[in-house]
Amino acid sequence: MVATDLSDQEDLAYVSETSQRVGKLKIYFGYAAGVGKTYAMLSDAQEILKDGMDVVVGYVEPHDRPETTALLHGFEQLSPLSLSYKNMTLQELDLNAALNRQPDLILVDELAHTNAEGSRHQKRFQDVEELLRAGIDVYTTVNVQHIESLNDQVSAITGVVVRERIPDRLFDLADQIEVVDIEPIELIDRLNKGRIYQKHKIAQALSHFFTIEKLVALREIALRKTADHINRKANQHASVSKTSPAFTNEHILVCLSGSPSNMKVIRTAARMARAFSARLTAIYVEVADDDPSESYQSSLQANIRLAEDSGAQIVTIYGEDIPKQIIEYAQASKISKIVAGRTKHLTKWRSKQSFVDKLLDYDPNIDLHIIPDNQDGQPPRKKKIVDFSFSFLESLKSIFLLLICTLIGLWFYSLGFSEANIIIIYILGILINALLTKGRKYSLIASIVSVLIFNFTFTEPRFTFKVSDPGHIITFFIMLVAALITSTLTKRIAEQARQASRKAYYTEVLLETSQKLQKASDEQAIYNETAQQIMKLTNRSIVFYPSEAGHLTTPLFFDHGNAIGDEQSVLNEHEKAVAEWAFTNNKRAGASTQTLSNAKCLYLVIRGREKPLAVAGIVYDRSEKLGIFEKSLAIAMLDECALALDKEKATEAQNELYTEMQQEKLRSTLLRAISHDLRLPLTSISGNASLLSASADKLSVEHKQALYQTIQDDSAWLIRLIENLLSITKLDSGQLKLRTEIELFEEVIDEAISHLDPAIKEHALTVEISDDLLMAKMDPQLIVQVFVNILNNAVRYTPTGSTISITALRDGPLARIEISDDGNGLTAEEQAHIFDMFYTTNSANPDGRRGLGLGLFLCQSIIEAHGGTLYVKDHQPKGTTFGFTLEAEEVSTHE
Amino acid sequence: MNKPTILIIEDDQAVRKLISTTVELEGYQYRTAENGREGLMELVSKQPDILILDLGLPDMDGVSIVENVRGWSNLPIIIISARSDDQDKIKALDAGADDYLTKPFSVEELLARLRVILRRLRTDQQSSNIQSSIIANGSLKIDYAAGIVWIDDTELHVTPIEYKLICLLAKNIGKVLTHNYILNEVWGKYYDDVPVLRVFMAGLRKKLRQHSPNEDYIQTHIGVGYRMLRIES
Repeated sequence: MVATDLSDQEDLAYVSETSQRVGKLKIYFGYAAGVGKTYAMLSDAQEILKDGMDVVVGYVEPHDRPETTALLHGFEQLSPLSLSYKNMTLQELDLNAALNRQPDLILVDELAHTNAEGSRHQKRFQDVEELLRAGIDVYTTVNVQHIESLNDQVSAITGVVVRERIPDRLFDLADQIEVVDIEPIELIDRLNKGRIYQKHKIAQALSHFFTIEKLVALREIALRKTADHINRKANQHASVSKTSPAFTNEHILVCLSGSPSNMKVIRTAARMARAFSARLTAIYVEVADDDPSESYQSSLQANIRLAEDSGAQIVTIYGEDIPKQIIEYAQASKISKIVAGRTKHLTKWRSKQSFVDKLLDYDPNIDLHIIPDNQDGQPPRKKKIVDFSFSFLESLKSIFLLLICTLIGLWFYSLGFSEANIIIIYILGILINALLTKGRKYSLIASIVSVLIFNFTFTEPRFTFKVSDPGHIITFFIMLVAALITSTLTKRIAEQARQASRKAYYTEVLLETSQKLQKASDEQAIYNETAQQIMKLTNRSIVFYPSEAGHLTTPLFFDHGNAIGDEQSVLNEHEKAVAEWAFTNNKRAGASTQTLSNAKCLYLVIRGREKPLAVAGIVYDRSEKLGIFEKSLAIAMLDECALALDKEKATEAQNELYTEMQQEKLRSTLLRAISHDLRLPLTSISGNASLLSASADKLSVEHKQALYQTIQDDSAWLIRLIENLLSITKLDSGQLKLRTEIELFEEVIDEAISHLDPAIKEHALTVEISDDLLMAKMDPQLIVQVFVNILNNAVRYTPTGSTISITALRDGPLARIEISDDGNGLTAEEQAHIFDMFYTTNSANPDGRRGLGLGLFLCQSIIEAHGGTLYVKDHQPKGTTFGFTLEAEEVSTHE
Repeated sequence: MNKPTILIIEDDQAVRKLISTTVELEGYQYRTAENGREGLMELVSKQPDILILDLGLPDMDGVSIVENVRGWSNLPIIIISARSDDQDKIKALDAGADDYLTKPFSVEELLARLRVILRRLRTDQQSSNIQSSIIANGSLKIDYAAGIVWIDDTELHVTPIEYKLICLLAKNIGKVLTHNYILNEVWGKYYDDVPVLRVFMAGLRKKLRQHSPNEDYIQTHIGVGYRMLRIES
């Protein structure tokens, strides 16, 4: 069973985790128009205004009630948004102005209002939700008949079906419900005085709605609803854990269908779920051979939306046997109650049992709630009225098959085979027909036609439809039954195969997506793969808006190449604004949704573990809607994409952390080593200096000279150390911009020699440059430092009188420099570690001081930064050779 | 000529003390200034013979002091800079400074630079008396009028550009000439191919060394420029 979460559970809790504060909602709740909700709201707000809060009137219906109008005095009022619709100018709440204004509290009348076309949201309650998400408190008004779950009850009492409804979750969400209540008698009195409706409407209202009995009943419902709310609030406060929703063990499953009466079932289930504090799941079983009618599809969508609004999680599964699938799901998800409507269309003609019976058959222990369904006029799930339009190709196939069967039959007949053989040929033909044609009608008709042809062609009297032998009637009947059963069974097998392959396809596509995404190396590749997969599935162009630091960045457009949705029409400011809305509100938006539905694309949020990561836009073609199957698969793919993005981001963060840690480690090691190595020469310098200044007269000249020399040597050592450190920090911090120029090695080596340790005089130094014009691109300061470090090492680690030689030669495209000495050489182990930071050899050191072990590490860094390599090897016959290569340069001169 | 007076503009007390003690021991007269403003006052009022200027002054940009001084005086300027402000050093040389020292420098280095400058001052005095068309430096001799270069009385065959180079260096003997300056003078403006300059310098130096292997007439200053050294004969 393949189950997909189709719901877009955008509860406010999710947002509140990520953004700051969520606004508080207060609802003024009345049982009928005219009880004084707006008046109560405004007078409360007046009090709050006096307390110094920032209160703004977002939208208040312009009533003709002087008391109410008077109360508006003193408020800042947002000017309403004027939208023209069919030559009428409609006024709506200006949501953008309200969001920009950011008051503490905003007053929005008539929560259940439906916005005019062209507004951002279809319903005003969605505006209010957005205001709350933006952290603005909202006061609003609503009447009992507008509450979704009470709709059936109210319409039963009043006989009026109210179209403007708000989902119960909004009511549940309210932090405060204030019942505005007056005696029904008084309300009628008010009505009579013309304070509710205009004069000409009074009589009508009195006869329809405003009768004492009805008002009393409505009042009762309103009060009960409020009591429920208070109860729930109390329970919520009592429940300790806030993170896990305070669900009891109850889990209610409601069966969805495309029948309008299904709404009643959903509402009942939602009411039950609230009453039991249960989780609510709505299930829709898509039958593989279904070819639902247009009206069925659209009312199914409406039902799914209603279920979503009622707080249900939507699950779509695919299967043949609806009751079986439902029970399997229920058992797997530990459903305690199933709510289903008693509808005829769910009963298959071939099963004698009703849908409900079958449910009970599969699981006798389940708690089943059947909602009576008295409404007529439900559109059939399938186009039951036989579709008389025949496809030419399919008809041709059927006729062709019948023709072949008849020909074979005639041949058999001429050979004198028995009738049974001919019947078998027809049955075979029908079987093949059922396999090859789409739609049952062809095989059904073929079955009947076969019998007729058989009768006409092969039974006596031949070439008439007359039947001479009564036994043949039985033959025809059995043949027809056999043909029908064969065709039905074959069709069924074919359907099951199709369904299985669809399931397999679903799983396979998802698996493939997941595998491809695993291989994707970076964000760009992840988007690319996801887009390719979704494009393959939906045949539509895709656009991705990745996010960075909470904002959408440059979109990535993947053109599928079909006519709808070219790059220009999809990538514009308007579309981006829709994507932006979807992103900040973490809700789907655009085409086919209730928000900004005039957009070109359907924008789905790619949700990471913690926050929305990106927005995907699927170009939507109004003429060709996305099927539920494709849509759910696309959403599943986006989930995979989110997973991959999350992983990618985590890896990135980890890598960054790792590098940072490495650098931190290096820095602290360096610092430790430096502070140790700086202390030694500094101690010597300051000690010697103080000795000299304190007791200069007591010291002999030679003695003094020796002390001066030590100070000088130690300072020189410090200077070299600091030069190296400066270069290392330059290299390490990555700010090193090599100031490269084409330099002559001759000049660079000369410069390096002038900076050597004076002790070089005790060694023999030879320089051999094979080509006077040997040049390379380099940062001369740093390369000089490489020479100085290597040469000074040679001076320090070889005995006095050793020979140090520098050779520079052209080696193909490279300039190769080698510095050799004929000292004692290095062991293999020393050679392996010589370029490590802080590595010093244990060899005795003429000046008795350990080096910092930075020099060669630095040389290596410098040469590598130049794109060359530094190496060490044995010098023949003895000693060590350090060498490096740089890319040689040619300079052409014209004179 | 009397021992010249040296003005030291240096904000760091220890370095100022080091320089002043060094020059005093050598018998020079000196004056000191802690900042640029004070230094300029001294320059105008006391008219010193040599200026030692630290580029990193608290109140003024050292390069602008060089530019200012060059507006009205030819006195030799030695600049002192830290390794990190290479670019400032080159700017100051371009602005007309004669020589530079990089911190940390040794006392010997400082004295050597002073000697170079003093010799130049002396020859300048002499040559201002006799407007000679011949410059001699050690065994090197250049006859501007004839356009010939000799070493030890043998003619040195140089290319036209090499000739221009050696003349430029010789006229500015003892002074560090930056790459830009040389390129401007020899090749003209907008020519900034330093590697080409290096190639010609290498060729010229090679010819000089062939004839006089023991003397280094042209000194290379990596990343800065070239200078002709005066060779004591």
